[in-house]
Amino acid sequence: MAKKKETFYKNSSMIIGLILVSCVLLICILSYFYMPYEPNEMNISDRFIKPSDNSEYILGTDNFGRDILSRIMIGSRTVLTVGIGSVCIGAFIGIALGALSAQFKRVVGSAIMRVMDGLMAFPGILLAMMLVTVVGRGAQGSIIAISIFMIPTFARLVNSMMLDTESLLYIKAAKSYGSTNMQIFFKHFIPAMLPKLITQFSSAVGSAVMIETSLSFLGLGIQPPNASWGLMLSEARQFFLQYPYLAVAPGIAIIMTVLGFNLIGDGLNDLLIKRRSKA
Amino acid sequence: MLNYILSRFKSSIVVLFVVSIITFAVLMIIPGDPAQLILGTEATPDVVQELHSAMGLDKPLYEQYGNWLINLLKFDMGTSYLYGESVTTLILNCLPITLSVALYSMIIATIIAFIFGIISAIKKDSVIDYFSRSIMQLGTAIPSFWIGMVFVVFFGLKLKWFPISGYVPASESFLGFIKSITMPSVVLAIGEFGLLLRIIRSSMQESISQDYMDMAKVKGLSMGKIYLKYALRGAMVAPLTIIGMQFAKLVGGTTVVETVFALPGLGRLVLTAVEHRDIVLLQGLVMFITSSVILITFIVDILIMFMNPRIKTFERGE
Repeated sequence: MAKKKETFYKNSSMIIGLILVSCVLLICILSYFYMPYEPNEMNISDRFIKPSDNSEYILGTDNFGRDILSRIMIGSRTVLTVGIGSVCIGAFIGIALGALSAQFKRVVGSAIMRVMDGLMAFPGILLAMMLVTVVGRGAQGSIIAISIFMIPTFARLVNSMMLDTESLLYIKAAKSYGSTNMQIFFKHFIPAMLPKLITQFSSAVGSAVMIETSLSFLGLGIQPPNASWGLMLSEARQFFLQYPYLAVAPGIAIIMTVLGFNLIGDGLNDLLIKRRSKA
Repeated sequence: MLNYILSRFKSSIVVLFVVSIITFAVLMIIPGDPAQLILGTEATPDVVQELHSAMGLDKPLYEQYGNWLINLLKFDMGTSYLYGESVTTLILNCLPITLSVALYSMIIATIIAFIFGIISAIKKDSVIDYFSRSIMQLGTAIPSFWIGMVFVVFFGLKLKWFPISGYVPASESFLGFIKSITMPSVVLAIGEFGLLLRIIRSSMQESISQDYMDMAKVKGLSMGKIYLKYALRGAMVAPLTIIGMQFAKLVGGTTVVETVFALPGLGRLVLTAVEHRDIVLLQGLVMFITSSVILITFIVDILIMFMNPRIKTFERGE
């Protein structure tokens, strides 16, 4: 009985995660076909319309009279592009560096891993903030900063997994058959590492979204008049004491996205890794 | 045992060295001449050139790095051009605020995580277990700036329990000090306790399933005593590591919360340095914060070694 409940909980977290992420994806796709208003269009006569006012603005308008729903919709593009894009770049470089350091253990490998240790020692978003100072603000700067932030996690993961897998018989067999390192890497290592990589990828997108919104909130990410959920909250800060509704929609959007990717990551972890190791 | 301490110390020093190179290199490739940045666009080229060489910017990079590193070891981090004060003074002024918020929030997070983690582990799959697991997921997904804004509206504006923003030094009024840092600390704690709860729950579960627990039950000890005295003791090591790590992270990760609550702490100083491209200040801050994080992690590791006899016999067997 308890077992059934347990599996239900695990699957339910996966299902809820999938639902949340598909909602955000749908909003993003929809934004290319239809948005109720032009997201950057200012309408001074329509400032601070509350969602409860029953006007044609479903989520109300902000301090410039811009439609909040449209800005949430176009903001989803930024969040997903920066979130998924930076993790893709970070994962790619991280996997390459991790593989390289597992292959050439001595000088190159330990040099790479020490640099990764160094990158990981910077607490929280301090590294991202420092990098933004150099590469500049905006979507591009955020992508570069966050992808560098993501590199060490993937590099360490790949490095340790490859060192574990290396001594297994089938890898040794492939080597003795004369397969090249590249062949072994793509044919044997990558499939063996895939479950953990996918899991890590999903959780990494969750934290990338969190960093992007934090940077935008601090004024170091997406710059106005472009829309990002973090920036919307930052703009709402001056007015939300009188108009708390301004902070509701962007906050819920961020929570949905981060929670969704985290839950998928957890669900995948249970499905792909824990179950496999039990069997 | 001494070997373990030495090897941990060695790797800490290596990490610190790598961190210093990264910090120096990243902020050196910043576009634009720092001398020009300080003097502004109206300065004549001669004056810029003079400051340029006075700051040692015409020397080769390795020499600049060496000088910077030697000065760091003497706790001389240079002068911030934005404030015109020494970076060390600026950091020391802001440090108490960030430290007290980090400590306070860690205490809150630890208490909540232990209570819910232990109950979750003992009453596995109960309502409380599901509840605390859901809260745990939500806690890590809620952005601290958002929950901070919600708190400001609810507890600050509606209920008027706490001031909306600002900082009251403890020397002025202790109650005011506690009040001014309570909301930021709770907000930070919400983000922190999720991971802690997860670790406590799983290590408590593991220690409950050990043989000595059955032994204790057979001996007829009361359940409360069994859980608190035996199970909890066995389950302490992993959470302690996490508490240390999270405290270290908090020291560097308070920028967002300090911005929401207008606390003049280290995080705010970092943000100001980034906004105004005050490279000397930023370099000093990043080095100070990151070295404190490495130091705290090192101390925690050593403390854990004394608590856990299994590590005492650990020999580095690479």
